[in-house]
Amino acid sequence: MNRRALIAGLAAAGAAVAAGLYRFTDVFVKHHPATPYDDLLTHLPDRDQAKRLGALVRGAPDANAIAARLRGAMPDGLTAAAKSDITAGRLVEVEGWLLPQSVVLLAALAAKS
Amino acid sequence: MSEFVDARTLPAGTVLTPDIAIVGGGPAGISLAMALANNTKLDLLLLESGSANFDPAVQALYTGSQSGDAYAPLEVGRLRTLGGGTNHWGGWSRPLDAIDFEKRDWVPHSGWPFPKAALDAYYPIAQNLIEAGPWIYDSGDNVAAANAPMMPLGEGGLYTSWFQFSKMRGDVVPTRFGARYEGSLKAAANIKPLLNANVTAIRLTPNAQQVDRLDAATLNPEGGIGKRFTIRPRHVVMAAGGMENARLLLTSNDVMKAGVGNQNDLVGRFFGDNPIPRNVATLVVFGGKLASYYGSTQTLGEARMRAVFAPTAAFARSKKVMGSLTTLEYPVELDDTGKAAVITAANALGVDASSARAYSVGCGMELLPDRDRRLTLTGETDALGLPRLKLHNIVSDADFALYRQTLAELGRQVLASGAGLLRINCSRREDWLKNMDWGHHHLGTVRMHVDPKQGVVDGDGKVHGIANLFVAGSAVFPTYGASNPTLNLIALTLRLADHLKKVAT
Repeated sequence: MNRRALIAGLAAAGAAVAAGLYRFTDVFVKHHPATPYDDLLTHLPDRDQAKRLGALVRGAPDANAIAARLRGAMPDGLTAAAKSDITAGRLVEVEGWLLPQSVVLLAALAAKS
Repeated sequence: MSEFVDARTLPAGTVLTPDIAIVGGGPAGISLAMALANNTKLDLLLLESGSANFDPAVQALYTGSQSGDAYAPLEVGRLRTLGGGTNHWGGWSRPLDAIDFEKRDWVPHSGWPFPKAALDAYYPIAQNLIEAGPWIYDSGDNVAAANAPMMPLGEGGLYTSWFQFSKMRGDVVPTRFGARYEGSLKAAANIKPLLNANVTAIRLTPNAQQVDRLDAATLNPEGGIGKRFTIRPRHVVMAAGGMENARLLLTSNDVMKAGVGNQNDLVGRFFGDNPIPRNVATLVVFGGKLASYYGSTQTLGEARMRAVFAPTAAFARSKKVMGSLTTLEYPVELDDTGKAAVITAANALGVDASSARAYSVGCGMELLPDRDRRLTLTGETDALGLPRLKLHNIVSDADFALYRQTLAELGRQVLASGAGLLRINCSRREDWLKNMDWGHHHLGTVRMHVDPKQGVVDGDGKVHGIANLFVAGSAVFPTYGASNPTLNLIALTLRLADHLKKVAT
């Protein structure tokens, strides 16, 4: 084996290891089990923080009900829905934090998923 | 030129006969004396219980008791020395809002006898007296924005408003009226300032329609009464503060058995102050930076100023809230829930919060008028033999609930602008009360109303039914507003001075 082949082989192995770490571990990116609500949860760049917040939401309906409500409320994405909530005064308190209703529902969904 | 006279040097039994006796040498009394002396020949007697220096024995005359919600000891929030409360005030100044003068259908007992416009001519003079710089309350945004960016608020019910600060002779110390105006009082030929002079009773004529005389006494250094003397003035102005005015009216009960001006059981009732609950909320600024004029007093242009958040009149009307002034205080750390809330909200709004910082939020509140929040006389007496006061203090759940609505609107507006996120820290009554301070603004105990059944004094500050007795100062405020009272009570006193010039000259 010449030197060039050795380097290429190591590079390929390294790439394979990195790809494996990316896909099958949480070293590079957090992986969540697939859920029926991934079309909604994808709006959360930091799902762990949202889960932490969502776990504190009181009186949230079950996940299916939340998802149904959010799919109707977020035709243009989370940012638009959140801004619409703010304008309309649809804020919800979570441990005192005043948050747009759609954000709170999505966080609650993350916690239940 | 009139030097200060120590009442202890008067011969016992002296009778003084000024045109106008002013009882109290605080900001109201001093402002009134100087205004009345200007361009008149009125013979003015300014009676101050204390002297130029603090005396614990004199201050102890203020001691009282209390019940109900916790309040500061009655001798703490006021000073019985020349200059009165200005000897320890913080200099916070802001005119009342126009809505504060209105009859608000959601505020029982609200409505001054006149609109704010009636004080327009007097505010600039009052502003000069407190030395708070040029009048830029209304244009603070322009001055501030030139210094550092303001925090944007989305459209809604609160706006950025401004305090200005009194600064004696341009210094950082607020104007102490006794020290600052000692020279003016002495220079006025027709003002006689009498120190160590305690009014002990207001004596009415037998028909109760006029003040006949004031009984006065000095305090013996060893305790008890020193010398007694009498004042027979043509007119009397009580300017002894929101507690002591009520006390002297109530205790003067030889002719009017319920006390002078108390025929409708109003004297001492409707006591008001501005509660200052601390750390009521946490405001996260996504961008982290906050202009220094939010958290502390800063020199902006020619004034010392601080930004606050105030409800608009439209918001107050639509949500039926009371006045309030919300302040940003000091940086605080977020817990894990706070961090989760900030990250999740900022992500949802597409805002970078990587530099976010959190700040504690405080406020000054306007209380709902409550006739049962009141001062009464007790069986205990002070060294001069006057009954001591008892305060029954009440802060209702409604007071907190109304301010909570205002905080929620602030939270909505900072989200709307993408500037930040707010947490309301107080939900239960005990949350509000645990960090409660008070403004020590003694208000409303001799309230003003055109109807004698609803007010002790009329719109000119004259006690209903008594031809020559007037009351100055914040005791007459029928509602309180959230602004600190000194600037406002001086403006009101200057208006009274103009009225007295008409009736007494």
